[in-house]
Amino acid sequence: MPVNDTIYAYAVGRIRALETRLLDRSRFERMIDSSSAEDALKVLAETDYSGAVSELSDFHNFESVLTAELKNSFDTLIRICPRPELIKILILRYDVHNLKVLFKAKYLGIKSDLFIPIGSLDLEKLAYSAAEDDYRDLPVKLRRAAEKISEDFLMNRDPQAIDLILDRVLYEQLIAVARENGSAFLEGMFIRQIDLTNLRSLIRIKRMGLDREFIKKVLLPQGTLPIDRLTANLDEPLESLVSSLMMSDYADLIEEGVREWLEKGTASRLEKLSDDYITAYLKQGKWMPFGFEPLVGYLWAKEIEIKNIRLVLVGKINRLPAEAIRERIRDVYI
Amino acid sequence: MMDGIQIALLGAALAVGLAGIGSAIGVGIVGQSAAGLVTEDPDKFGQTLLLQALPGTQGIYGLLTGFMIMQRVGIIGGGLVNLSVPDGYAFLMASIPVAIVGLISAVYQGRVSAAAIGLIAKRPEELGKGIVFAVMVETYAVLALLASIMLLFGIPV
Repeated sequence: MPVNDTIYAYAVGRIRALETRLLDRSRFERMIDSSSAEDALKVLAETDYSGAVSELSDFHNFESVLTAELKNSFDTLIRICPRPELIKILILRYDVHNLKVLFKAKYLGIKSDLFIPIGSLDLEKLAYSAAEDDYRDLPVKLRRAAEKISEDFLMNRDPQAIDLILDRVLYEQLIAVARENGSAFLEGMFIRQIDLTNLRSLIRIKRMGLDREFIKKVLLPQGTLPIDRLTANLDEPLESLVSSLMMSDYADLIEEGVREWLEKGTASRLEKLSDDYITAYLKQGKWMPFGFEPLVGYLWAKEIEIKNIRLVLVGKINRLPAEAIRERIRDVYI
Repeated sequence: MMDGIQIALLGAALAVGLAGIGSAIGVGIVGQSAAGLVTEDPDKFGQTLLLQALPGTQGIYGLLTGFMIMQRVGIIGGGLVNLSVPDGYAFLMASIPVAIVGLISAVYQGRVSAAAIGLIAKRPEELGKGIVFAVMVETYAVLALLASIMLLFGIPV
């Protein structure tokens, strides 16, 4: 009798209620159609964000509302998930992001406030570690990565190494934890993210005209698209990459994304389609009455919702036409 | 050596015990889902309670069967019947449908009801449909009860 998945019964019951409060497409349409950023924020104030929005003295500070909301969602899920380590692994991305910001600040001398205060590592301690070049307090994998970056930078003075080393560690760790816990669903999500990241890196590097050796350093090894195949027709135009992927799951997304990238010179369409692809994968969890899947789905939905709110508000502040914002809005989970 | 009466009582114990275990698991699953929903939306308590009660019936069917066996062998109502071993086995076998089907159907009914908790989280007006889905599982518990009762009354003691 399948009773194991019922350990998630409480959590899923709660998620089902929380899902009803996610913003739907029509809410985003109203925000897009509003005349200014302030009006868009008023639409937001009709939703679950009302409390935080009403306390906002200057609407330019909306970012703090979004971060607080996301942090709140992660905290709730960690509390209600019977296996919180599976939720915590989803936070690793933010730790890695913060580390990247920190290292770039340190090695490139850029003052930065791009930290996202969601990660599990304390930002002050992290800054202290970086300043002292002492990473003993970091988790083992991150510590090794940090030491490798220090070493590499001393020798090569190449800031790109920061992203390369940290991304590699991030995905190694994500896949390892998903496998350890026997979560094929989670592993499936990470593998799809790796594939999509690899595709984007490949196209970006190709457009920058960088060489084969560099590409091999950038591409992450755990994806389903073999690196050999990805790099095979590197010297031919991008269209041949599109046709070589015609038989893969990513055919539609790559075709449309690359076409717009070549036409408009921006990756934003491909990025939107990549997010939508993950959303479509995670939507399976929407119909599961038990199990871990609805929890991952909800967190992703929240991340996408926050990304969408940011897109609309930033678009409104910069007076982008409604159509330009609408194009970038990600599909919603509900 | 085992007398007929002990075997008959084993039947009564299994009917009450197994069907009861099934109901406890089923009601437990729905209860957890319901608690999750009510944490976020306390107004739905009444509706969720209705769904939680559904997998409880198997336990009642088991108890009913148990009582009938006890009554027929004279444990309740006085005048203990002198049962032969084959008659004892007949009572044990009569209890099996409600015991086994009760155990399994209650767990599955609990799963359906918990899924219905998700349904009323989004569409509270569709509670009736959620109940119908859960009650479909009930059919087989009722059929098993029917079989157990018919078997019980067919034993010539």
